[in-house]
Amino acid sequence: MSSKNTLQSTRKKPSRRQKQDWFAGYIFIAPVAIGLFIFYIIPFIQNFWFSFNDVNKFNVATFVGMQNYQDLLKEPDLILALKNTFLYALITVPIGLALSLFVAALLNTKIKGTYFYRTIYFLPSVTMAAAVALVWKLIFHGEFGILNEVLKLFGIQGESWLTNPHTALFCAMIVAIWGSVGYNMVILLAGMQGISKSYYEAAELDGASPARTFFKITLPLLSPTIFFVSITGLIGAFQVFDSLYMMIGPENPAFNAVKTMNVLFYQNAFMYGYKGYAAAISIFMFVIIMVITVIQLIAQKKWVNYD
Amino acid sequence: MKNHVKKLMAFGLATALSVSMFAGCGSSETASNGKVELVMSVWDSDQEPVMKELCEKYSETHENVVIKTQLSPWSEYWTKLEASATGSAAPDIITMNVLHVEEYADAGILMDLTEAEAKSDLHINDNFPAPLVKGYTVNGKLYGIPKDFDTNAIFYNKELFDAAGVEYPKDGMTFEEFRAKCEELKDKLPEGIYPTAINRNSGQTTYNASIYANGGYVLNEDNTKSGWDDPKTIEGVQPWLDLVLDGLSPTLEQMNDTDPDSMFQGGRLAMYLSGNYMIPSYNKTLEGKFGVAQRPSVNGKFTDIINGLAFSVSANTKHPEEAADFALWLGSKEAQEIQGKSGTVISARNDCQELYLETYPDLNLQIFLDNVKDSELLPHCMVTSELGNVSKDFFDQAWRGEISLTEAGKLAAEAQNAVLDKMNAK
Repeated sequence: MSSKNTLQSTRKKPSRRQKQDWFAGYIFIAPVAIGLFIFYIIPFIQNFWFSFNDVNKFNVATFVGMQNYQDLLKEPDLILALKNTFLYALITVPIGLALSLFVAALLNTKIKGTYFYRTIYFLPSVTMAAAVALVWKLIFHGEFGILNEVLKLFGIQGESWLTNPHTALFCAMIVAIWGSVGYNMVILLAGMQGISKSYYEAAELDGASPARTFFKITLPLLSPTIFFVSITGLIGAFQVFDSLYMMIGPENPAFNAVKTMNVLFYQNAFMYGYKGYAAAISIFMFVIIMVITVIQLIAQKKWVNYD
Repeated sequence: MKNHVKKLMAFGLATALSVSMFAGCGSSETASNGKVELVMSVWDSDQEPVMKELCEKYSETHENVVIKTQLSPWSEYWTKLEASATGSAAPDIITMNVLHVEEYADAGILMDLTEAEAKSDLHINDNFPAPLVKGYTVNGKLYGIPKDFDTNAIFYNKELFDAAGVEYPKDGMTFEEFRAKCEELKDKLPEGIYPTAINRNSGQTTYNASIYANGGYVLNEDNTKSGWDDPKTIEGVQPWLDLVLDGLSPTLEQMNDTDPDSMFQGGRLAMYLSGNYMIPSYNKTLEGKFGVAQRPSVNGKFTDIINGLAFSVSANTKHPEEAADFALWLGSKEAQEIQGKSGTVISARNDCQELYLETYPDLNLQIFLDNVKDSELLPHCMVTSELGNVSKDFFDQAWRGEISLTEAGKLAAEAQNAVLDKMNAK
């Protein structure tokens, strides 16, 4: 459709033909839109409503007003869960981003077998989360784990990394960083390849070192992509649950030490059956993530370069 | 015109796609041939064949009723049941356990079977072990027909005992004798193999029974108070915990990295206390290489914990009469005999229990039956999982030897009492 056409459509009544086009368009997006509506939007509204109710295991709801939110402020594990969530996000996202940037920069050069390396680095993103958790569980295993076998070569007696409350969260962070590099790398690489070659040619003529080229040309021009990766990364990190549940799990002595907001949510909703309270936890988390995202959107004006 | 046809097709496809996603839900219905169709949920794939056999057997005499089994694995079973009960689409016959019955009965999801039982010739109080009937009676109403039960014993690895030159454990040991055996094994077993394993969460098979034998309790009668600050409770658990603290069991960390069941199956434990339901699993790696012996006595008492399943009926079934009749039939001698002969579980009915003895002739299964008369039902209430969770950290610390069991018990009781208060306030 030409731009002239769209301009007209805002002024004039749409023609029969256009109406037909729209109708067809709606039908095309219907399968996705219906799914989105049923599985995301309706549950979100229902969840919001649940947060003002006392909801039992079997979804019988009684209105209690702000009670769930008041209880949440008194929650003994709230500070711990917030601390763990922030710690997790603030460590995994920057380190994951730096590593992805490093790997992307390496793979952006003309070396042999770049496709092979890209595939290897991307593999964690297409591997089932359950399989990933199982393999890492074996790596960290106290008695037979590969990690401890390697440490033994250096004369260090390792421990049960995933059952020790002091180390379990860090193990989960290592897995998260390892898992995020591939996906971030692909996006960053695409961003890097979008940067015009002429900048680099000019830099080369002026005799700039590779490091200087990276910091003065690649990084600023890549900032929109970095911004995108960091914002999606943070949102994902704040919602961490699956890896903790599968690698550590409710029966593990370290489970309470790795309690994040989403673990707290899961515990209340699906282990105890306090679905209303759990809904309040998730709304609380939604607000926190939203605020952080808004702050990032404002702050990006200072460092993201869209030219 | 042609365009319209295309659009219509697209629309049709889209709706068909989205509708088909929601098809396939729903429970019972009257089949087109006028037969009543019932659905029964089960979680144990080892038991599904015998459950199917029971359904077919019932249909032989009740030609208008067809029953289908619906298998969902244990890990999803309760989540799925919860969801289907929420949508009033629960299976007509539900395999129920003691830990969940109160909650489901309270939420009005299960049918009250009291009257139907009274009218039938089941005579539940005469024909079934009392703790099981009591377990499925909530506020004086019967919500389940007992299906099977399990009790516990010492399972021992004959090869490890032979290699170490230690005599097999005997029935009728005291706890002191059991401990002495562990110590003897500790000296003679190779490094990395443990005499036994006592896990924090293995109360059902080990220390819970000793709490009762010692006059303590886990939860009081009316579920208002935790018993973990009672010295008698602590005294019942302490000897078991000492086995861990004195190195006769793997540490809490080791048992989390590899659970004791797997350790026993892998030949890394000489003795392990387990329920009879584990026999099929142990047979996979240790068939013919392990034996069973009676649990050790505490205070001269051989108290054990009994747990068992039952058949419940959904309160929302479209065919209440047929579903209730089938559930009652599942408790009949005819049905429980078929189940007992299959060797999967011990049938709950008193006159069918002995059938189990013949299923694994080289194991002394009689001890599992003998334990029933001295058994207490697995402690439970509506908030069992929450009680476990709020106290877990304290017991973990005691299991690592960081705080005394008395202190852990006190903290646990405090946390549990808060949960119980909240439950009882509702």
